[in-house]
Amino acid sequence: MLNNIKWLVPSGANGHLSGEDNEIVLSSRIRIARNLRDLPFEIKLKPKDSLRLIKLSRSVLEEKMKGRYLDIVKMSPLEKESLLECHLISPVFLKMNRPAGLFITESGNISIMINEEDHLRIQGLTYGLKLTDISNDVFAVEEKIGEDLEFAFDETYGYLTSCPTNLGTGLRASVLLHLPGLVFSNEAEKVLKGAVQIGMAVRGLYGEGSEIKGSLFQISNQHTLGVKEEDSIQTITRLTHMIMDIEKKARDVIFEKARHEFEDKIFRSLALLKSARIISTDEVLNLLSAVRFGIGVGIIKDITLATVNEIMIVSRPANIQLYFGEILEEHERDIKRAEYIRKRLGGG
Amino acid sequence: MLCDDCGKKPATIFFKEVLPEKVVELHLCESCAQKRGLLMTKKMSPIEILQKLLKERNAKDEKVICPVCYLSLAEFKRVGRFGCSNCVRAFKPHIKNLVKQIHQSDKHVGRKPQPGDKKGFEILKLREELKKALTQEAYEEAAKIRDKLKSFGVDSVE
Repeated sequence: MLNNIKWLVPSGANGHLSGEDNEIVLSSRIRIARNLRDLPFEIKLKPKDSLRLIKLSRSVLEEKMKGRYLDIVKMSPLEKESLLECHLISPVFLKMNRPAGLFITESGNISIMINEEDHLRIQGLTYGLKLTDISNDVFAVEEKIGEDLEFAFDETYGYLTSCPTNLGTGLRASVLLHLPGLVFSNEAEKVLKGAVQIGMAVRGLYGEGSEIKGSLFQISNQHTLGVKEEDSIQTITRLTHMIMDIEKKARDVIFEKARHEFEDKIFRSLALLKSARIISTDEVLNLLSAVRFGIGVGIIKDITLATVNEIMIVSRPANIQLYFGEILEEHERDIKRAEYIRKRLGGG
Repeated sequence: MLCDDCGKKPATIFFKEVLPEKVVELHLCESCAQKRGLLMTKKMSPIEILQKLLKERNAKDEKVICPVCYLSLAEFKRVGRFGCSNCVRAFKPHIKNLVKQIHQSDKHVGRKPQPGDKKGFEILKLREELKKALTQEAYEEAAKIRDKLKSFGVDSVE
């Protein structure tokens, strides 16, 4: 099923992708954890109950909304890896070795993991800083499921989850930020430490434990009890605006000090992407960061953010194989990746 | 201004605490603030707090058992996960402090489940029972189950 890459480019990717929000804030993500009252949680869930959970969730989802269901067990490791690269499933979900399902709504921006650490993990993902919008979509889906299924809920502790750290709202709101100004001016650590001090978590591109690459940072809330959903979302949104301001100021300073050096770095990065014959995923991330920066400060005008976002996702190791429809070794991948990027950027 | 404690380095941290009887104001340098434990080197994440608190074990933990899924408090402390929707109730007095320290709160203030007939699970069970009745050729029983399913407005088959 190598050519089955419908999920590769989420909806909205070719839509309106301009403005500073979309350059500094790559994406907004909301996920909520829900468990069914009548079935044991993960650690006590027997294989038979796993199947019941999946059957039940799938039938409710398919009855209530349009979308497509993927049986994780039937998918190849490559396809699963691709779902992770597209941020549709979690690293935990990828490694699990038990029946599990994924439902992706027709619009493509809501995905529901069935039988992860919690029975249901409902996730919404969109471009730019739109946490409130995407949370509305997520809760609309949750309410539809909740018409038919009784969620585990307690008046004191809210929505009950497998892990005590998710009790309450079960909500994680996160934004993926591109902060080259802060990285170049060595201010990133200071600013992000401030975020941690007010109770936020700061991580790399692929969540917990992942490295910081391409000046990309993920910021998310950590507390889920004693705080309303909209307040968690507001806190992250406000913090993001503050960080955006600092980032913009850092860029102004950088450009005042060393305009030519930075323009040189940006255009050299673009030239490399347009000309390279062999290129690794990490190199792409770093070069794309410079190009994104160039678009953000208005010196690159003929490439859109949509193209940058697409390259960022499609050039990942599993996705590039699905894109070309063949299994590729690492070295072959680096060659094919370079080929795809040259084509995408109209290089030679 | 020099540090109140060492009197050598410049004070960069201003600390003010309002107590019932007096107001304490301190002007300290970073290393003296560190010594007094006023600066957290790294704020602990909820996961780290959880892992730390789960180590506080008690001999009686084996005897506290959730009556629904049979998870013991001791096992909960080993894996850090609840076993079912009843565990929180069963362990409440023992996990109160843990939850409070993780979240800095002990009361949910967010959304609540919306009303609905919530018959999904019941329908699943009835369909399973129907299948069983049919394989056992218990047709009278099967007819009753079918009627029940009909009353929910759903088909007897999936």
